[in-house]
Amino acid sequence: MSSEEPLFTTPDPSEPPRVPSTSGNAGGVSSPLTSSGIRRSFEVGERRLEVLHGVDMELRPGERLALMGTSGAGKTTLLNILGLLDRPTEGKVHVEGVDAWSLSPAKRAELRNRRIGFVFQFYHLLPELTALENAILPAMILFKGSEFRRRREEFEGKAHDMLVRFGLSTRLGHRPGQLSGGEQQRVAIARALLLDPPILIADEPTGNLDRGTGEKVLEILLDEQKERDVSLLLVTHDERLAKRCERVLFMEDGLIQADSSAPMPT
Amino acid sequence: MFRTFLSLRYLRARKTNWIGMAGIFVAVAALVLILSIMAGFLAEHRRTLRGNLADFVIQPRYTQSVRLPNGDLIDADHDVGAMIDLIESHPKVVSAAPQLQWYGLFVPDGAKSAMERPMQDAIQLVELIGVDVEAETGTSDFAESLTREYSPKPPDGRIYSSVERVDDAEDPFAPLERSGRRTSRPGRPIIVGEQLAYLWSLRKGQEVSIITATFDDGGSLNEDAPANSRFEIVGSFRSKDNEMDQRRVYMDRAELRDFLQDSRGWSAVIVKLEDYERDKLQVREELWTQLNEAGFLGAPGDNPNEFRTWEDFRATLLAAIENEKSLMGIMLSLVLVVAGFTVFALLSMMVTEKRRDIGILTALGATSWGVMVLFLLIGLWEAVIGSALGAAVGVLGAMKIDAIERWLSSTFGFQIFNRDIYLFDHIPSEVMPIEVAKIVLGAVVSTLIFAAIPAWRASRLDPVDALRHE
Ligand SMILES: Nc1ncnc2c1ncn2[C@@H]1O[C@H](COP(=O)(O)OP(=O)(O)OP(=O)(O)O)[C@@H](O)[C@H]1O
Ligand SMILES: [Mg+2]
Repeated sequence: MSSEEPLFTTPDPSEPPRVPSTSGNAGGVSSPLTSSGIRRSFEVGERRLEVLHGVDMELRPGERLALMGTSGAGKTTLLNILGLLDRPTEGKVHVEGVDAWSLSPAKRAELRNRRIGFVFQFYHLLPELTALENAILPAMILFKGSEFRRRREEFEGKAHDMLVRFGLSTRLGHRPGQLSGGEQQRVAIARALLLDPPILIADEPTGNLDRGTGEKVLEILLDEQKERDVSLLLVTHDERLAKRCERVLFMEDGLIQADSSAPMPT
Repeated sequence: MFRTFLSLRYLRARKTNWIGMAGIFVAVAALVLILSIMAGFLAEHRRTLRGNLADFVIQPRYTQSVRLPNGDLIDADHDVGAMIDLIESHPKVVSAAPQLQWYGLFVPDGAKSAMERPMQDAIQLVELIGVDVEAETGTSDFAESLTREYSPKPPDGRIYSSVERVDDAEDPFAPLERSGRRTSRPGRPIIVGEQLAYLWSLRKGQEVSIITATFDDGGSLNEDAPANSRFEIVGSFRSKDNEMDQRRVYMDRAELRDFLQDSRGWSAVIVKLEDYERDKLQVREELWTQLNEAGFLGAPGDNPNEFRTWEDFRATLLAAIENEKSLMGIMLSLVLVVAGFTVFALLSMMVTEKRRDIGILTALGATSWGVMVLFLLIGLWEAVIGSALGAAVGVLGAMKIDAIERWLSSTFGFQIFNRDIYLFDHIPSEVMPIEVAKIVLGAVVSTLIFAAIPAWRASRLDPVDALRHE
């Protein structure tokens, strides 16, 4: 692909990315995220350890896809590659039809910024920033100083609304250190959704929370996913959670072993 | 945007960064303060070194008959007036004056005692300077040196003021009025330097001998001329230059000419410019060319001793001063290096500590360049804030250093600056805006260079690695 061609179909940066319409996806629309033949090996001392042995998968528009598997199967490694944080030793990742690992680092960073939202197991908020500031961080990274200042209120309003909706109305000015794990994860969800990315990647988002708290956080995540029609790729060890997903992939020893492809409910 | 925002936030939230800033602050303040005081001392030193030297001293070597612009043929040897007219016609020259310079042995207690005592105790080589008071007054600091305050007394306070300044500054060489009968004809009037007076415990009205030798027009020793004569001290001067105050003896030019039986009557022409620092090179070049065309001097540059600026007489010392200044600057710049190193160490620690944050930023779409700039900015703010405050405090301190020192002395009771040792009654300091700007710029640049290493390291971090563990 020539670098002059438009790399991915996003609105002009001066316009806020629009929420995709919920009216189903025509068959011609490309998948938000696909991988083909992904291999990843690590040099451990003298030895070469292959963790992924050629993973092919597809995240379909608007679906919830659960990724399950035993510990050490390579789920996080795969997610890092799909999330454009880690370069595969072999294979391709396409984000909305664009071969992401053939882009320049700057273009790939922009893709990460605008098209993919991350939710981590350990929340990963910046400790020096308040909840609200953490939530608008993606916009700060996307826009230059003057542009950001012009639109700051817009993003703050958006983040504010989300945080209030997530039950954090009294916590906006608190630092992560002053928040509980569940509260931090809700801030992280707001951050992931700020720029309305079409893809959401979550690696055991409730893995670090007790059952009750985890369920509440999960409700928020799933509600937002449904409402925005975002494609969600979710790593989990929780069978009950996997049941709420439209498809489940089972991973073992660096390969997708089973695909519980259920017909997509409408 | 996140770079500016986060760098300021990190700076504010992490107090360890303030140590780096404090280091830069102290370094810049000290540099500005010390270099300003240094510059003040050196400027003062320069003024002191100059003493009574005029801007230019012209001493013709080859003088023959001179054809003036109007066609007259004159004997340059005897017509210093024509040369002075020519010099004074230059628009940037204020005035010019003739001098007759010769050397003599100064024998304060009479020639007889000189023979009885070891030489260095009884005789001193002096420069005899014959001046025309009126012309000299407009051209050199001669007149000022006759009214200048006495330099501070040394602790034992001995003789210092035993010679008073002249009776009449308008006519300094007038013979002293005396009560009572004179036993003999008064000696030729001379004005001696304060250091000479101090050294020999001279009094006003004291008679001294000066021995010399002269040459006739043919260049052989003039055996008929009197080799020594009696002189009467009619006053003292202080040019500020101790050496000059010890070596120079002023006389009326006609009197000196008479004593030396010199047919020419002058040996140098001194010149004062409107603005020496601004015009020295240009006017020297132009005057020299004109004087050469008129036949007063050799070609410009032929014999450097024919046309000298006052700095030429002090070249070695002035060069030493400049040397001292740049050496000091280099040594003090090391302080900046130390401050820069502090920033380097603290920022390196911060990058290690902030690995996870860097991974998060990368995951959210920051480029490695953005991460690098973020950490560079932290260094930049430290440098800018630290050096701006440092420069402000340094400049303020330099301007008020005398008051500060006086306050310290009176509060803590020990004297830091002994005003009697130096020739100045205050601590000199001269704030030079360009130097201050250079110091600030140097601080910022060196900090950025030091910050670049950890910043680069931050930009190379692997986000996956940084995010793996809690
Ligand atoms: N940088 C690395 N160097 C060497 N080995 C690695 C590296 N990263 C991951 N691995 C190995 O790859 C394998 C897969 O790790 P990964 O974190 O992807 O597992 P996972 O499926 O996410 O497990 P869990 O469910 O416990 O999170 C593990 O055996 C791990 O030790
Ligand atoms: Mg994992």
